[in-house]
Amino acid sequence: MPINYNAGVCKQFLRKMIEFSVEVESRIIGAVLPELGKLFALSSKIEDYSELFPDLNDEDFKDAWIQGLREEAKGDRNALARLLKCPRFPYGRVEVEEDDAEDLLRGLTEIRFTIRSTSLKNLSDEELEGGLTNLKNSKPEVRIGYFAYLLMAEVQERLVQEIS
Amino acid sequence: MFSEPKCSTLASPILEEKADTEEQLDIPWKVIVLNDPVNLMNYVVMVFRKVFGYNETKATKHMMEVHDLGKSVLWVGEREQAENYAYQLQRWRLQTILEKDD
Repeated sequence: MPINYNAGVCKQFLRKMIEFSVEVESRIIGAVLPELGKLFALSSKIEDYSELFPDLNDEDFKDAWIQGLREEAKGDRNALARLLKCPRFPYGRVEVEEDDAEDLLRGLTEIRFTIRSTSLKNLSDEELEGGLTNLKNSKPEVRIGYFAYLLMAEVQERLVQEIS
Repeated sequence: MFSEPKCSTLASPILEEKADTEEQLDIPWKVIVLNDPVNLMNYVVMVFRKVFGYNETKATKHMMEVHDLGKSVLWVGEREQAENYAYQLQRWRLQTILEKDD
């Protein structure tokens, strides 16, 4: 039987992949994935790049700057969507094409900013950086948000190590 | 028919504007990264290396400055390049501002 090298499956084998496993229990990943799905949908709605523009008093330049960031962020979000939809991710397996790795890193940062400004908005920076100590007394949405935040950080940290 | 140019003691606004612009272009601009509680240390080091081509030691020094002092001046130079660096850093979601160098 002739091999069709144009088929998607064969192409996948030709691409260079980065693969690793995160040390997070699959029951925790399973618990936070639905929340990550919601936050992912939310992240594109609450994005605000206007505050990023340097104060240069040029409205046309400002529009181009913000539009550029917004457009380029689409690829980052797509890379994150592929990770969240990957059938092996609920078991802690991360598989990303080498060409997508940088997009995914930025996508992970964006969703962590979204979690910070929504589920974890009532936490101080110190609590967030030092680790949430009274996790048991926290509201369920904060707990789930915190685990989602940590999971995304774990994936990001490992991915940086892999590509460095 | 063209009339003779009249003499005036007022400075030409166009020339003045041009001089101002040239003067502004000569002023060095600082690319400053601010601390945030979200981005990971190894991520920030990686971004500094990618954007500026810094080695591990220099990138780590700037990352620690951001972490400990709240900000670090990553680069100083002409405005167009400073804007380019600021855009790239924001593309990586690092909080970046531009300031005129005093």
